[in-house]
Amino acid sequence: MQLTRVRRQLMAASCALLGAGAQSQEAAAPQKEDSLLDRLLEGVSFDSALAYYREDGRIQAIEPVVNVSKTFADGEVATLNVTFDSLSGASPNGALPSNVPQTFASPSGTSLTTGRHLYTIAPGRLPADPNYQDDRIAVAGNWDLPLSRLTHLSLGSKVSGEDDFVSVSVNASIAQDLNGKNTTVALGLNNEFDLLRPIGGAPVPDSDYAAFNKNGSKTKNGTGVLLSLTQVMTRHWLSEFSLSWDRFHGYLNDPYKITSVLDSAGNTGGYVYESRPDERTRKSAYFENRAAWGQMSAGLSLRYMKDDWQIQSDTAQVHLHWSFANRERYLEPSVRWYRQTAAAFYTPWLTTEERSSIGNGNQASDSRLGAFHAFTYGVKYAHKLSDAAGLAGSEFSVRLEFYQQIQDHRLPAPELLQGLDLYPGLRAILAQFGWRF
Amino acid sequence: MALLGAFSVEPRGSDLVAVCFTAMASPCEVLLRASQLKVARELGECAAEEAWRIEQKFSRYLDDSVTSRIHAHRGAAIELDEETASLINFAERCYTISEGMFDITSGILRRAWTFDGSDRLPQAALIETLLPFVGFDKLKWRSPLLELPIGMELDFGGIGKEYAVDRAYDLLARNSAGPFLVNFGGDLRANAPPPRGRWQVGIEKPDREGEAKMILELERGALATSGDSRRFVLRDGVRYGHVLNPRTGWPVAHAPRSVTVAASSCTEAGLLSTLAVLQGSRAREFLSEQGVKYWVLD
Repeated sequence: MQLTRVRRQLMAASCALLGAGAQSQEAAAPQKEDSLLDRLLEGVSFDSALAYYREDGRIQAIEPVVNVSKTFADGEVATLNVTFDSLSGASPNGALPSNVPQTFASPSGTSLTTGRHLYTIAPGRLPADPNYQDDRIAVAGNWDLPLSRLTHLSLGSKVSGEDDFVSVSVNASIAQDLNGKNTTVALGLNNEFDLLRPIGGAPVPDSDYAAFNKNGSKTKNGTGVLLSLTQVMTRHWLSEFSLSWDRFHGYLNDPYKITSVLDSAGNTGGYVYESRPDERTRKSAYFENRAAWGQMSAGLSLRYMKDDWQIQSDTAQVHLHWSFANRERYLEPSVRWYRQTAAAFYTPWLTTEERSSIGNGNQASDSRLGAFHAFTYGVKYAHKLSDAAGLAGSEFSVRLEFYQQIQDHRLPAPELLQGLDLYPGLRAILAQFGWRF
Repeated sequence: MALLGAFSVEPRGSDLVAVCFTAMASPCEVLLRASQLKVARELGECAAEEAWRIEQKFSRYLDDSVTSRIHAHRGAAIELDEETASLINFAERCYTISEGMFDITSGILRRAWTFDGSDRLPQAALIETLLPFVGFDKLKWRSPLLELPIGMELDFGGIGKEYAVDRAYDLLARNSAGPFLVNFGGDLRANAPPPRGRWQVGIEKPDREGEAKMILELERGALATSGDSRRFVLRDGVRYGHVLNPRTGWPVAHAPRSVTVAASSCTEAGLLSTLAVLQGSRAREFLSEQGVKYWVLD
């Protein structure tokens, strides 16, 4: 037997056997020819959701999401995610409530006394642009490819566009399995480029609101690094620890946010556009533990974040996953607690003295930069369907979340504003319906 | 097609399910993604039916099998269906390639040997009387007509299980997009890695039946194992394995107890592992020459 030739000959013989057999079987039971669509849809899964979000008395959003992923025979996975957001309602502009009516101009306005773009806020009400409307579409693609048995590379890109904002980001991460796949270390890099084209132009930071000192577009750039370690502790316990660092620079202001300037009695003397530093560096640490036993699993995650704006935040989240009815249904309650300290330049309002003394300092009254704590209570219920109508393996889900934010940074109100709710906080609900097939 | 036997669906880890059944006297399973349980069950059923179909069609022990029909018509030409004809063609190719070492007519030699772990050796004379009835070249084969000479036997056992794995694999590949692994009694084939990691395959080690298995990892492709730790004759300290040399009627000397080979199809892997065992002490040399991945246990 000529050894080296055996394999090639056997391969040919096997092909002849298996090819011939396949033909005879097909002849016996003719199969429907796969259409191009069938072939394209091989290994494809769809995950879709429709979310409705509403802030108490403010904006509401409707957000459909479609996620399509395709697994190729060689283990590569391509994912495409398309999200559309439609926001409308009243968006707080950052000014304080007052004891007198206040008149503001919508972003497209050019004057506070004439024109169609004015809105007036009644005494005691939180100033908010009532005609806020923004649509956003975001498309994200990700490609996950195994480089070897133990190494995975993931490449992704995301583009998102709004009327007044375009963001493009790219990311790459590499994960290495070690220690018999009980340990995974991963390194990820992210780069983002944003173009802001605010309606009416980007305001000059710290400029007088009534001066309409706005010009053109602005940009900001961000770079991030993530290092993570995932460890299987026992058969039922998984731990993950990660550190991340990111830095943004450029025009970091919200172009539609202004700060009230008050005299010592509380009379509103005017407004200035917010002025944030043009650089922000964040560092965060994240620790998550997941445990499973029987039909139950639970997760506890903790995050600590610190930035050079002097915001520090802590997040703790607990979730439970309880599956029943032969794992065809599950219930997932969760609670999240969040707390942050205020940015160094956060102030609910500026006094006329501060206004004249600070000059070109940084200031912002955006409550998202203030000190607050928040709770999120959520529950998700999912039902896997396995009927005969071709929906085998599909899953319907409903998620409900309630969010409550309470401002912690409370300066004593000036005399004229006493009794007004200067720190209204935020309450919001989210309802999401999902369908995966 | 009616179900011929029972099968069960068992979870394997969080991502996979195993559809388990028995066919060809072996425990069989098909591993599939658990996310689409109903689809997994249907595909498993499909694979089980294919295994049972092949078992029924080619079993020596069933009266209505093709093999029994061929045996019933010894001395006369009968017309074979296309699938059987292609298996006979394949067996002929293997006989030629292996220069007579692989022979589907050699099953008759087992009458002389009882591989029960005892010390019973056959009478040399008995083997000599059986040898004239062994040899593929004695068949009158012109596809699709086969004439089996009187006194001879055919046995598809040497390729049937691997062939069934490949057949079931083809069926699943045509009807499923997700990753799957077909494992019929240790001969197996997978189309793509499972959702996480690789397929973990246990290969039994000789002498430690049922317990310590050698674990192999597989992403895709086929594995087949030849040799069997449980079937041997032990005499004067010499262990005669169950792999018989069709040309001598005696077990191959110094044959490894188990040879596992990786190849693109299970049929190919099975033949390579069988031929390696037939090489006796030269098994490793043979396998190295083939440029395949292999695992040999002595």
